[in-house]
Amino acid sequence: MATRFTPFICILKRDLIIACRNRYELINPLLFFIMVIVLFPLAMGTDQTMLRDITAGMIWVTALLASTLSLDAMFRTDFEDGSVEQLTLSNYPLTLLVGAKILAHWLVTGVPLILVSLLVGYILSLSYAALMALFITLLLGTPILSLIGAIAVALTIGLRGGMLLSLLILPLYMPVLIFSMLAVNNANDGLSISAECYFLAGLLVLAITLAPVATAASLRIRLS
Amino acid sequence: MPRFETQQLESIRRDNILFKDISFSLDQGELLQIDGVNGSGKSTLLRICAGLTLPNSGAVLWDNTSIDSNRHHYLQNMTYVGHQNGVKDALSVHENIQVIHALSGTSDVLDCTSTLNQVGLSIDEDVLLGKLSAGQKRRVGLCRLVLNTSQLWLLDEPFTSLDIEGKALIERLIVSHCQQGGMVIFATHQAIEIEGADIRHIHLGKTNGN
Repeated sequence: MATRFTPFICILKRDLIIACRNRYELINPLLFFIMVIVLFPLAMGTDQTMLRDITAGMIWVTALLASTLSLDAMFRTDFEDGSVEQLTLSNYPLTLLVGAKILAHWLVTGVPLILVSLLVGYILSLSYAALMALFITLLLGTPILSLIGAIAVALTIGLRGGMLLSLLILPLYMPVLIFSMLAVNNANDGLSISAECYFLAGLLVLAITLAPVATAASLRIRLS
Repeated sequence: MPRFETQQLESIRRDNILFKDISFSLDQGELLQIDGVNGSGKSTLLRICAGLTLPNSGAVLWDNTSIDSNRHHYLQNMTYVGHQNGVKDALSVHENIQVIHALSGTSDVLDCTSTLNQVGLSIDEDVLLGKLSAGQKRRVGLCRLVLNTSQLWLLDEPFTSLDIEGKALIERLIVSHCQQGGMVIFATHQAIEIEGADIRHIHLGKTNGN
């Protein structure tokens, strides 16, 4: 039975299968994440209180960098083997198909990153409230990273510019970082974090609505 | 009656006119070859016909309406097979065929084995595509033609990396498609003779443009 969502599910499944078969591409950003986190205590000393103050911030910044590293893989092989052309020329809205690709990307990079972040936060003795705030902000924030990143990747695909990609998207990640850190700090002080979470949720809805459209348009431009 | 038409297409690359004033039309059952030396713009012309690239001037029409204004209708009736096969090395043959089938938009039930037979492949469907030869990958890519119900086929170098038997098979597919009222435009620099089909030619090149 061919419904409107058959190709969406098909592309989602396709990307998940491919990600599972290229396991090193899945694991490398996570290893990078853990390595950078380990560098901080080495550089700044092992003073417990000081580390506890900076843990949430360093987890978020490192998560940003790790997700930037993993972005490139989203469209590269599809571009090289002509799959992007076929997606563009299929009878279904490119926006929908791109949405499936972004969702798959978040499932294989964002979700593991959230889990590892919680583990790292726990090891570095974050308080329970801060850990929860970290979890909620990562849950709301990492999909935004994948969505915004997709636009930039689609624009820079085929150009040898890993650096260009980072320069394009890191400024766009700043609002996410600001609201997330506000939430974690509030949680540490025993204050409510709902305002920041609403802002993040609003950003997420905005990104879900606009990013697939912008990504589809960028891909069309890159192909022509 | 569906009809494919281009009007005075012009393409400019790096300040050089690649081609200009390319006008032709195709009715049901017609077969057209775009030929010309390397770099003469065969692929570009085909991509413009597919709506992937925009021409610098001119228009591409399907059913007498521009393909930009009626994109959905055009995409339903057009299948493009480019230089690259558009199949994934990390997926098995069967999974690749499933993706092609899902994107083709047909409501037919997929019969993977018979699809592969039609492009002359008799291999284990669960083998990863990356393990196949270039010619076998090409054939999997050409499954697109079998799985679609489009009237217009746009083929960029369809015979690349195919053996003699594979080439004959694709020629037969093209002929039978034309006999059923389809249209085919293919780009290749090779001289092609297809039995039972009358091939029209568009020649790209500096000496005799069109």
